Amino acid sequence: MAQPLLGHPGGLSILAGAESGVSEEDARILRGLRAGIEDAYEELIERYEQQIYSLVYRLTGNQTDACDVVQDVFLKVFRGVHSFRAQSSLRTWIYRIAVNEAHNRRRWFVRHCRREISMENERSEQGNSLESAPDLGRSPFDQVLDNENRKRIESALTRINPIFRAAVVLRDIQNFSYEEIGEILQVSLGTVKSRILRGREALRRELTQKPDQNLAEVMAYE
Amino acid sequence: MSNCEEITRPMTCWGAKRRKTDYIDGRLRQGERARVAAHLKKCEPCSFDVEQMGSVRSGLGGLPELPAPTSLKTGLRVMASVEQKAVIETHGSRFERIWRRWKLRLDEIMRPLTIPATGGLLSSVILFGVLAFTIGTTTRGVTYEVPVLYTDHINPNLVPVELRSAVVLTLSLDGSGRITDYAVRDGSDSFVGSTTRLQYNNISLPEFPSVLAMAQPISRDIRISFTPIVFRP
Repeated sequence: MAQPLLGHPGGLSILAGAESGVSEEDARILRGLRAGIEDAYEELIERYEQQIYSLVYRLTGNQTDACDVVQDVFLKVFRGVHSFRAQSSLRTWIYRIAVNEAHNRRRWFVRHCRREISMENERSEQGNSLESAPDLGRSPFDQVLDNENRKRIESALTRINPIFRAAVVLRDIQNFSYEEIGEILQVSLGTVKSRILRGREALRRELTQKPDQNLAEVMAYE
Repeated sequence: MSNCEEITRPMTCWGAKRRKTDYIDGRLRQGERARVAAHLKKCEPCSFDVEQMGSVRSGLGGLPELPAPTSLKTGLRVMASVEQKAVIETHGSRFERIWRRWKLRLDEIMRPLTIPATGGLLSSVILFGVLAFTIGTTTRGVTYEVPVLYTDHINPNLVPVELRSAVVLTLSLDGSGRITDYAVRDGSDSFVGSTTRLQYNNISLPEFPSVLAMAQPISRDIRISFTPIVFRP
């Protein structure tokens, strides 16, 4: 039976002790995971589930794949936590696993399922989850326009090179610093800059190449 | 080069392009940022380029987080529960966890094979047990009603057999089913002779194909019992 130490005053503090490279908070979660404490698992999922899902969805472009990849990511985190050497932050480590898993899944998809047509895909595209995040402070008309623009950007994002896409998503959506992106993608700072620049330029081309889609219009509501 | 010179020196379009990512992301030092800004004021194409890139960035920044499906949330919690249990059971021992994982995989691989393998083995044993009784090199003798003509003692070449009692004729066969020798026995006397004499005595059974058809022909003796039939004129 697990001891829910995190919820108790001084719970995981008995296990506390910062590891090199990780914050006190991360170290606390890591020790909890290693000790098999239920609350540590819950806290990790609560903290990263949403972010990792958003990232992986945007990298794979498919809801079903994203769910599978997120499960794989967390499984690797749970099992790999014992061998995590804490040379980078917990967040960076988890994101690195997520990016690698998403790339692996995409490569696997390209090799095996390219010619298959997924009904799930169509459904998820039709019922885009962006629509489920309404901004109550804006008029319905503005919300529709917002949703349209977001859909265009999301759609353009799926069409750019996955290598550049990962860098752009990490920088502009997940707000990682260049150094953190370098750690996640395991590339140099120069490569990070280059990928971000090329990703943004590719995205701009995608958004401006259709005559009925003026970038200024698209961006006017942001 | 001093800081003042850096600020006053005009920037080229190439320089501005090289720095535009850092400029948009606010990663340039103040002096360099001012130089890029000064260039953008003067150069319309560069200004338009940076403005568009900035719009792309802000557009991406405005994208909301995508809500994870409920099934994923549930799945993750179930998985976490399983992993947590495994950690507790193995007392954090990495070796034991790896061993358990491989054991489970082996079990998963072997389980589908176990039922067919056991079923196949069992059915082959039963089948062998049933058919074992039919496998053999010996063939049971078949009772034939062989017509034998009774003769009197007119012809001296004939076998002097009086079929007043049961007579047992023992025939020796070769591998092809041909008679090679014979012996006749009744209650009082017995004869051993050649096949020619047997044929003279109208006991003409040169081959036994019907018997031999059931098994591999072998050289054996066949015993045939005769029951006497008396014809009354």
